[in-house]
Amino acid sequence: MDDGRYAIRLHGVTKRFGRRTAVDDLDLDVPRGSIYGLLGPNGSGKTTTIRMIMGILLPDEGTVSLFGGEPEVRRTRVGYLPEERGVYRKMRCLEFIVFLAEIRGVARAEGRRRGGAWLERLGLSEWADRRVEDLSKGMQQKIQFIGTVVHEPDLLILDEPFSGLDPINQDVLEEIVRDFRERGTTVVFSTHLMDQAERLCERVCLISSARKVLDADLRELKASERRGVVAVEFEGADGWLDAPEIDHVRRVDGTVHLLLRDGGDHQVVLERAVGSGARILSFDLVQPRLHEIFVRHAGVDAVGDAGLPERGKT
Amino acid sequence: MWRNVWAVVRREYLQRVRSRWFVAATIGGPLFMAALFVVPAYFAARDESASRELAVIDGTNVLYERVALRLEEAGWSVSEQRWHADVVTELRGAAAAGEIGGFVLLDELTLETGEAILYTTERPSTVRHFSMRSAIARAALEFQLEQRGVDAEAMLEGGELEIELLGGGGSDMEEPRFVVAYLGAFFLYMVILLYAVSVMRATLEEKTNRVVEVIISSMKPWHLMLGKILGVGAVSMTQMAIWLLAGVLLFATGLPMLVSAQPELANLADLADVLPGAGLLALFVGFFVFGFFMYSGLYAAVGAMCSSDEEAQQAQLPVMVFLIVPIVMITGVIEDPGAPLSVGLSLFPLFTPILMWGRVAGGHVPAWEIALSFALMLLTVFAIAWIAGRIYRVGILMAGKRPTLPELWRWIRAA
Repeated sequence: MDDGRYAIRLHGVTKRFGRRTAVDDLDLDVPRGSIYGLLGPNGSGKTTTIRMIMGILLPDEGTVSLFGGEPEVRRTRVGYLPEERGVYRKMRCLEFIVFLAEIRGVARAEGRRRGGAWLERLGLSEWADRRVEDLSKGMQQKIQFIGTVVHEPDLLILDEPFSGLDPINQDVLEEIVRDFRERGTTVVFSTHLMDQAERLCERVCLISSARKVLDADLRELKASERRGVVAVEFEGADGWLDAPEIDHVRRVDGTVHLLLRDGGDHQVVLERAVGSGARILSFDLVQPRLHEIFVRHAGVDAVGDAGLPERGKT
Repeated sequence: MWRNVWAVVRREYLQRVRSRWFVAATIGGPLFMAALFVVPAYFAARDESASRELAVIDGTNVLYERVALRLEEAGWSVSEQRWHADVVTELRGAAAAGEIGGFVLLDELTLETGEAILYTTERPSTVRHFSMRSAIARAALEFQLEQRGVDAEAMLEGGELEIELLGGGGSDMEEPRFVVAYLGAFFLYMVILLYAVSVMRATLEEKTNRVVEVIISSMKPWHLMLGKILGVGAVSMTQMAIWLLAGVLLFATGLPMLVSAQPELANLADLADVLPGAGLLALFVGFFVFGFFMYSGLYAAVGAMCSSDEEAQQAQLPVMVFLIVPIVMITGVIEDPGAPLSVGLSLFPLFTPILMWGRVAGGHVPAWEIALSFALMLLTVFAIAWIAGRIYRVGILMAGKRPTLPELWRWIRAA
């Protein structure tokens, strides 16, 4: 049944904790060599799904397979960054990285060489021989990230990799993820930051309340969104907003976002607005954002707080 | 598999051996022990500044040679004074002038009762008082015994009782030594507890700071547990080897040097007589190793099923009981090592390290009993590894509440 095109396959996976169902009958196919985003609000089941992929939790029902089956590949070919970060605080940074490489089958000398190169790339060279506990939280997170990738895995599973990083380091991390993609590594990451997912992912899966709501190729998804969005700034009359071409109006700061109906022509909308006496300051055709697509497909409730800026989550 | 286990062992070992705690305990331990013996003896002997020059007036005309020999052993320099009418007055003057520390008068009464008189300007320390008194009494006793043709030397050494076991098969261990039995049992209790708890703490720390999720995704839980136990075990062996070496050095070179510099400490050298021999030492190490493997497995399971230090403190109590019970019973077992109860209890594997040690060090135990106890411990090590491994595998990734007993049973049964 597996033809090797998929790095991860989940089939009918269900996980319950007591009476609460954390993941409900989930099917998931992650194509090899893709960047796959697992999206959804907090508590929707992303982390539980990832932990089942990693074999940390066993599903109550359903099957999980990696690279067509063998569970042993987890131990050497996968790099896993858990949501709750953990390090050996008393270890020296490079030693910690070498240790993580060693338990996945990389010789110590090679681990040392790669670890040094990674520390260099992330600007942490001078910290190589310091204890992990001496580093700031963000730096510790980078050390842990190096530990996740140092054995050059075929599959990277990153649970909320961007949380707790400043924007500059988020960019660095994004770049690294793209590099791995270039080398053919499959990357699965969970996030509740839609912007990040939109920039990085080739395929996204939206999970809400333990169920999969949407699972699609991002480009196809966007292409299928024939309906446009118009961002308008205007003064004066607003009666034209009731025009039949407009499906939904959303006010964002000083701007009004108009979601057009299928086949609705923005040119007609502009004419109506001008005709009604409104003074148009700007009129932009914009791409629908992932958030808007999700809302359209799944409703506001399903998307929840996903996509909103992070609020002090650790 | 062994590659991963080895990586964990190595990490655990290096991190521990490099820690300040290890260095402090390893160096501080022997120093503390040495101080425990040497310092009191040193102070008892030292609180006296008077001259060690001592004059002896031998009114008996037979005791001087013997008394002088004994007193010199105890650190005095002795000179003989012939008895004459003014001798006491002269010596008083010399003592007052600080030329001598004092003088001893031996007379007929000394030969009969061991009594003598020390004239001195300063009250002697307890140790000096005692050593002088026993030197004189012993000299008198030796003289009297030899007058009767008795081997005073052998008699005063306390004689000898040779034991011939009837029925044969007795193990040919060293002589029973109660001090060694007691101290060894307590030391075993301490080190087994110390290092087994280290395994628990290490497990708990890994679990609470979540690093275990990453490790477990790369290796089997059982390998991690084995690596942890072997790593901590290697640390414990290192530490004990250093202690042993320090002990040997102390007794082989340190003590003679100390005694030659401070002759009053001569009685410390007697300590060397109670030291266990190589055979007993090997058994001690054996009891420790097996005890450590049994208890560290149990403690690893306790660490894996808890999620905080406080919880672990409570959860370890049922395990600790198995270490405390033998310590409570050790006195009885050492006093009567052959009683059926002693034999039975010492063959219960979890009690064996402490109780069997007490019997072996305190008396003769048939070799087959020792062999049996090790065989039973070996079986127990495997049984504990199997059970603890299962608890560990489930517990290490489990967050939240500590499992109840029925839950634990399910963990053990789960494939």
